[in-house]
Amino acid sequence: MSAFERVTRRSLLRGGAVVLGSAMAAPLLSACGGGGNGGGSKELTFWNFYGPNPQADAQSKWFTDLVAAWNANNEVKVKLHYLPVSEYLAGTALQTAFSAGQGPDIFLLSPGDFLRYYNGGVLTDLTPHLKPDQLADFDGGVLGTRKVDGKVYGLPMEQEPLAMYYSVDAFEQAKLSEGDLPKTWDQLLDVAAKLTTKDRFGLLFETIPGYYQNFTWYPFMWMAGGSAVPENGAPGFNAPAIHNALKLWQDAITTKVAPRKPQGDGAGNAPANLGSGFAAMQQSGIWSVSQMEQDKKDFKYGVFPLPVPDGGTYTTDIGGWAFVANAKGANPEAAATFIAWALAATDKDGVERGRQWNTVVKTNLPARKSVQEAAKAAGAFDKPALKVFLDQVVPGGRGEPRYTPEVYKAVSDAIQAAQLGGIAPAQAAADAAAKIDTFLKGYKGAAML
Amino acid sequence: MPRCSDPLPACGARPAAPPVWTRRRREALAGYAFVAPDLIGLLIFVGLPMVLALGVSLFSVDGFGGYTFVGLDNFRQMAADAQLWQSVKVTLTYVVTFVPIGFVVSLGLALLVRDHFPGVGLVRTMFFLPHVISLVVVGVVWQFLLVDKQGAVPALLRPVGLGEVSFLGNPALALGSLVVISIWFLMGYQMLILLGGLKDIPKEYEEAARVDGATAWQRFRHVIWPLLRPTSFFVLVNSTVGAVTGLQAFDLVYVLTKGGPAGSTSTVVFYIYQQAFTFNNYGYAAALTTAVVAFLVVATGLMFGATKGGRFDVG
Repeated sequence: MSAFERVTRRSLLRGGAVVLGSAMAAPLLSACGGGGNGGGSKELTFWNFYGPNPQADAQSKWFTDLVAAWNANNEVKVKLHYLPVSEYLAGTALQTAFSAGQGPDIFLLSPGDFLRYYNGGVLTDLTPHLKPDQLADFDGGVLGTRKVDGKVYGLPMEQEPLAMYYSVDAFEQAKLSEGDLPKTWDQLLDVAAKLTTKDRFGLLFETIPGYYQNFTWYPFMWMAGGSAVPENGAPGFNAPAIHNALKLWQDAITTKVAPRKPQGDGAGNAPANLGSGFAAMQQSGIWSVSQMEQDKKDFKYGVFPLPVPDGGTYTTDIGGWAFVANAKGANPEAAATFIAWALAATDKDGVERGRQWNTVVKTNLPARKSVQEAAKAAGAFDKPALKVFLDQVVPGGRGEPRYTPEVYKAVSDAIQAAQLGGIAPAQAAADAAAKIDTFLKGYKGAAML
Repeated sequence: MPRCSDPLPACGARPAAPPVWTRRRREALAGYAFVAPDLIGLLIFVGLPMVLALGVSLFSVDGFGGYTFVGLDNFRQMAADAQLWQSVKVTLTYVVTFVPIGFVVSLGLALLVRDHFPGVGLVRTMFFLPHVISLVVVGVVWQFLLVDKQGAVPALLRPVGLGEVSFLGNPALALGSLVVISIWFLMGYQMLILLGGLKDIPKEYEEAARVDGATAWQRFRHVIWPLLRPTSFFVLVNSTVGAVTGLQAFDLVYVLTKGGPAGSTSTVVFYIYQQAFTFNNYGYAAALTTAVVAFLVVATGLMFGATKGGRFDVG
């Protein structure tokens, strides 16, 4: 081996070690110094999954118009950063950015993920930026899942309740009428059996594991009188109420009236399942009204509230996304001011902005009373499906719970084990309860609702 | 006055110093230059993340910039993690089915298209075609094919009474379905590698065996198989590593089943992903990654030792 080769190789290794060492130290040192500078940056980044998207659809335009209106009148500018919804919901970009101390200044957050970010210390208190009349304008307890110790950490842009959709043609083919719409769990399975054919399932619940499946199962848990964590004197996850709710979903599979796998991206997609004739009844949210209008315009469908167990109390789960401000961002104060202006402004423009988002470019129940009134006045709830949502589905609704990822995973495992794994509901619940109880003993974060 | 034998410039007869750029050095430099792009890529995209993962595995990371040194706690946590061992079981099941079946299928295809026949190029292309498609697209396509009741596969199986089978929704079938799809995706690539190995085997050896009266099986067993060992070794190691950490162990799972139904397809890589990006347990995820890499290094070493690296000229 020549001296030249020896030196070169050693130099290479030595240089490589320095590079690796520096690279390894960088994130650790950066982490020690905390996240953003908390200063007065003149540009705020806003990560979202609506716009400006490549399709430039109406929802994308709502976001770009919103930011353009703000930027025209404010020194601190907002810059939209679009991520496809699949990447935003289940990808790595947002978490990686926060982990590197480079999280966005403003971003969208669902109740299901609230505590992860609140307990991580990256949510800004928006309360100082909201006037009492603005706070009072938010409907019922819609702020509850975004509050800690009376302070608001996220402003909801919408309310998204869950209900059952059904195919009118499928009902007619099975010689069923509106009077046969199921009101109880037993009726739900009976009607589903009548609607099931060689090519079609009578009923569809979500079967893909994840936050969305949990979100759609919680109403059944509540209606039976259960809770994932001990709450209002309830015993927690290992209880008859939980066993019954798990059994309903298990029975739907074992009796073969519901599929083990939905079409498309899951049971939140009504056009791909109900609209394709794959299922005759499907649990989904209010967003499916606009989905069906867009993709299955001529499909005849109806909506009815989730059936109730014998002796249970009707409840549905109300989801919806909120704007939140990064407390470690470049300018949290300005970010909070933007959010308050965007979603809580009570002037004519502010209400119209809310009406457009909730009932024109998307179908939601508005989170604010003033927006609901404006939408009613404009006839937004004249559509039969939305009228059912407003009059029958939402009353008795409850905000999506904000369980921590540890609780979410235990619940998810129990649902999967009972629904698809053939495990006895009582066993699945007991396994999950053991994990949840162990976790709760060491939990020090904000209260779970 | 200097003597002309002295090595002084005035004499003009100074022996030449060894040239800096000898042929050997130039060749060495050229060699480094040729491997540099790959080496730099490996260092940046494989070596550096591995070293960083090792570093991060010693910390508890909250996902929001907070690092707390915990030493080997993340590694100790593995022993009591039932879900980890469940995912190890899933991964091993996947490996011991996918690797050998995939190898046999690929070798069969390679033998099928080894010799020239009309349209052989088209047949090879057809077998290789799945490999050029993105795994995400592969997942989406198979999702349509396998969907309950209305998928093309259940529809085809309806006449034999299997139309109600849920390939991706039944825990007993979901992992097997992933194995089949993985083999379909990779068989063309593995076929191509094995075909290269087969083409390197001199025809004379087989001819000699044929003249000696060897049957087709005997020619394969005693001529082709031993000479194909280096290629087979590469294919087996490559597919084992791919089955444990590769894209098909993640992308297909992510697109088709999200680890379900009931955890039946939650591979180790998918579990690591969940730990990092669902639970923010970056430290634990890094420790798991380190353990997987260590396992693969040891497993590859053992395979190498057991097969002498696939060399057929070593006893």
